[in-house]
Amino acid sequence: MNRLDAIRGGTPGQDHNARSIAALAANPACDRRAVLDAAAIDKPRLMRRLRFDDRWGQSPFAIQRNQQFTDLVKANGAAHLLRLLRTLLDLPIEEAGYVNLEDAGGNEGQVARHGHTRRVIRQTAEGRGRATILDRPLLRLDVAGAQVYLEPDVIAFQLGGVFHIVAIKSFAIVDDQADTPKVSAAAREAAVYVHALRELVGRDLVSHDVILVCPRDFTNEPTATTVDVRHQLVTLARQLSRLTRIDTILDRLPENLSLDLDALSPAQIEAAVAAVPARYAPQCLSACELSHLCRREAHDLGHLDALGRVVRDDLGGIESVRAALRVATPGEPVADDQAEIAERLRHVARLYDEAVA
Amino acid sequence: MSLLHSYVKVKARERGRALPRATVRHVHLAEAPMVFVPLRLAGEAAAPLGAMVGTDPRRPTLLVVPQPRNRDLRFQFLADLGAVLLPYIDRISRQVETVEAKTPFERCLDAPQIVVPSPGGVEFAAKLGRSSRFRRTTGPYAVDPAVPMLGRWLTFLAEQSEFAGSSLMVAMTDLLTAHWVTGQSAVEDADLAALLGWIDPPEGLTGPEAAALADDPLTPPAGPDTHPEFDRQELQKAIEHYDVTGSATQVEEALHGQLRPTWDRMWQAIGLLAALKESPGATTRWERDRVHVALHRAWIDGGGLPQGKRDSAVAAAKRLARLEAAQQSFEATRAFDDPLVMAEYRADGVAFAGEVVAVDLTRRIVPPGGKREVPRPLVTIETSDPVRLAKGKKVRSPSRPRQSATITSLADRMVTVQIDDGMGRGSQPAEGSVPGVGTVICYTELDPGESRRAPLPPREETPWTHGGPPPDYVPTDDDAAEPWS
Amino acid sequence: MGKLRKAIRQATAAGRHAEARALRARLREAERQWDAEVEQPATQPPLVPVREQVHRALTLLGAPTAARMIVAVDESFFGGQMANTQLTSLRRDEEKSYRSAPGARPYYLCAALTSELLSPARGLLALSTWALPQRIIGPLSPRTDFLTSAVRLAEHLMRLDDVSPGAFRLLGQLAQNIPGAGDGFGPADPAKVIAAAGAELAVHQERDQMDRREAAARATDRLGPVERLFGSGIRTVRSA
Repeated sequence: MNRLDAIRGGTPGQDHNARSIAALAANPACDRRAVLDAAAIDKPRLMRRLRFDDRWGQSPFAIQRNQQFTDLVKANGAAHLLRLLRTLLDLPIEEAGYVNLEDAGGNEGQVARHGHTRRVIRQTAEGRGRATILDRPLLRLDVAGAQVYLEPDVIAFQLGGVFHIVAIKSFAIVDDQADTPKVSAAAREAAVYVHALRELVGRDLVSHDVILVCPRDFTNEPTATTVDVRHQLVTLARQLSRLTRIDTILDRLPENLSLDLDALSPAQIEAAVAAVPARYAPQCLSACELSHLCRREAHDLGHLDALGRVVRDDLGGIESVRAALRVATPGEPVADDQAEIAERLRHVARLYDEAVA
Repeated sequence: MSLLHSYVKVKARERGRALPRATVRHVHLAEAPMVFVPLRLAGEAAAPLGAMVGTDPRRPTLLVVPQPRNRDLRFQFLADLGAVLLPYIDRISRQVETVEAKTPFERCLDAPQIVVPSPGGVEFAAKLGRSSRFRRTTGPYAVDPAVPMLGRWLTFLAEQSEFAGSSLMVAMTDLLTAHWVTGQSAVEDADLAALLGWIDPPEGLTGPEAAALADDPLTPPAGPDTHPEFDRQELQKAIEHYDVTGSATQVEEALHGQLRPTWDRMWQAIGLLAALKESPGATTRWERDRVHVALHRAWIDGGGLPQGKRDSAVAAAKRLARLEAAQQSFEATRAFDDPLVMAEYRADGVAFAGEVVAVDLTRRIVPPGGKREVPRPLVTIETSDPVRLAKGKKVRSPSRPRQSATITSLADRMVTVQIDDGMGRGSQPAEGSVPGVGTVICYTELDPGESRRAPLPPREETPWTHGGPPPDYVPTDDDAAEPWS
Repeated sequence: MGKLRKAIRQATAAGRHAEARALRARLREAERQWDAEVEQPATQPPLVPVREQVHRALTLLGAPTAARMIVAVDESFFGGQMANTQLTSLRRDEEKSYRSAPGARPYYLCAALTSELLSPARGLLALSTWALPQRIIGPLSPRTDFLTSAVRLAEHLMRLDDVSPGAFRLLGQLAQNIPGAGDGFGPADPAKVIAAAGAELAVHQERDQMDRREAAARATDRLGPVERLFGSGIRTVRSA
């Protein structure tokens, strides 16, 4: 781990959260993201130092709305949530216990809060205790050797059954339909919590169905639905296991690599980032703070990947814009394994020229 | 998407400028399209924040909600929007002609056309429609009569936009990407400013340079979502100012600054599209749009109920089938109307073109199930296209859309088709009914089908005078009283 | 309005829906008028100090309660106007006042104590005059307190002749989360709320009281007077 700390230098690190871990899983092949995250580099700050527009903040209106809705769901001993769980999980009336795990005896430290969560969850799992709704738990996950603390909204427990992760989101479910990208993002995030909770109490005790609580239609009225995150769990587990081999990536990097945001000039930072290979694709634009930097770099190098997955697949095997156009030009020599695509591209080029003529 | 499309993308990247994807315009452009650029409050499902709307590029109407959390102000916004959109829709949709057919039907002389910046704008219009069409105009929580009426039309237009080729409500980014190919990814093409930068960059800039300006914090997004930094630094303060003073000026100024650049881009894009000649298919599809508008107009005037919240299972299945049919027919017609579109299919081997090198005019066979011999001439075409069609495949040619043919043999660069119909009733094919040697011709498996035939109202939209469509969802008191957060 | 509500209930029960609808429309009209008359200019200074407003709301609720709910009850049952923010420092001020002159006031706004750690339960306000078990928050207590408060609010509504529509709305919101207490539409029926909440209370009460008494005994044993009111921050008091 010393190596990662050395890369970060004297600048304070930025901790992972469920969203950043989920984003990491979105592009498992990217060394750059893996290294920067493992070294806890503050990516938004890095981008600001390179004078990129910061578009990663959340609107204050969205933050406020989310807070209001979460408060409503949890008000009065989470009365709304209890009603929804009773319907969704057939929870018997007796199971109505509510425990706020944020109260760790006046101790605000993450270690203490996590310890408290651990203890209560273990008790609950063993059938001791009366908690059905565990509010504000603090979980922990090992990410590339670093301890990452995670704070799901709520964990629900059914006696004799399993734990469920509850995600409270303020996007609306209108006529039983929600915005697919928002549900997917919520599912990826919730999968991180499921994973972390399974590490604590074992796989069989945590459901892969997470409970998504959202406002119904255009009202404030909470409604709930279950979302199966099995697929997200598989992807996440694969990526996390890959992260544990961060040392292999580090071995390929320059020995004195530093990304100390406080100590280096913008030009030095840019050079250091460039030394860690990225795997840019347009999907990064909605998932990674570094994406605008990587995009510029990819275009400067003429990478075909930057034009999207379809182009990359269609021109499989060709790396760059220039190479693709050369292959498409009659008379240019091509490698044997590109003979077929060359023939097709040349035909296509002729078709296009004919049609626009 | 096709290999051709990918190739053109690469080429556009290298040129630094978008390249044409079509030689004609595959969408109808109304004489006076209604441009509608809506914004919504972050974190809310359907809280309008403001909009710029109108048919005159020089005189947009700016509508704002100075406190978007105030329910009354939201409805005021919808009433104001209704005051712009409804007279436009009414004026156009009330002029109706009767089309003589086996079952005569009505068709509007023209139809309204609402142009929004992106598919997100269409979705938002649908949400606005959903949140307002059940509102009551009397009793508690009464709203301006324009509100539910606007809701019904927005719902109708947004639903129609799901049908491929409908021009009633269209997203500008969709229109532009259907006619040009940029050197950036589809994700980036979804940004109107970046897309237009590639297609029509300002003097002295390359496409990528102009597109990069779209990432500048000073370029507002085309909506409906605003930039979080704008919310934090401008909008929040402007709304607070309204809360304290009751003056909406600051909110108006802030939103004007966000909307006007997009407004101007919308008209720039309309100008680019208008410069292309309209395809015959687009005109035919617009005729059908006009029938749909006439039907909806009559439904409303006849006291019909607002659209339901959900389709029944049967209605949903029918709708899906219609969506698919529309998609198939739209794709085929586009290719038939435009050699550049057809080239994409030729690249993928589902169409081929070449010169006719041999014709057997005298061939006669007894068709399967038939009793007597009929003329079935063979036409052999030499092509360099990578044909991936199989023997026995039914094909058609854009130059002879009403005649069908069947592939009978495929050899190296040679394809032979048998002409199946459209040759007259004689014992020999009628003069000119079979392509002659030396003709350059294209055949494809695509079939424009319905759209080539007379535009009849679809079965599901049978006028109520003839039994009417299946029973509609009946709104209840609860729908009208549905509180807004 | 009380009479109208009764008429609506009778009409609904008898299946006379058209009549019920008409009555409901009249009720809404009456509620509007009531609202218009009751509405007071916002600039008027409060007649009652905040701590007394909180005291009367808590007395009515009868259980430790969060600020938001206290404000809502004060507004709809007493026509008061408080902001959530006015309540944030209240507990700390009360503790200061208690420490400087213990017992000088007839009551203090104090903390509820978590049953496990005897630490102050986050966000809840309680009255010093309540018995200690009443101020303990075990796992089931948030639920029993919620049900208890709903019952007490409903009882209060039944006692009054002239009640603000806001009070009925608030009860309706609570009733929505109590099985069998109401469908969430139309005005709440206090009698139904009392019966439904009582039924669920009966399920939890025994276990909850047991937890509370056990923790209260522990608190009496281990905590000094100040900690007993305002909670302990010391981790060593944790039970085994």
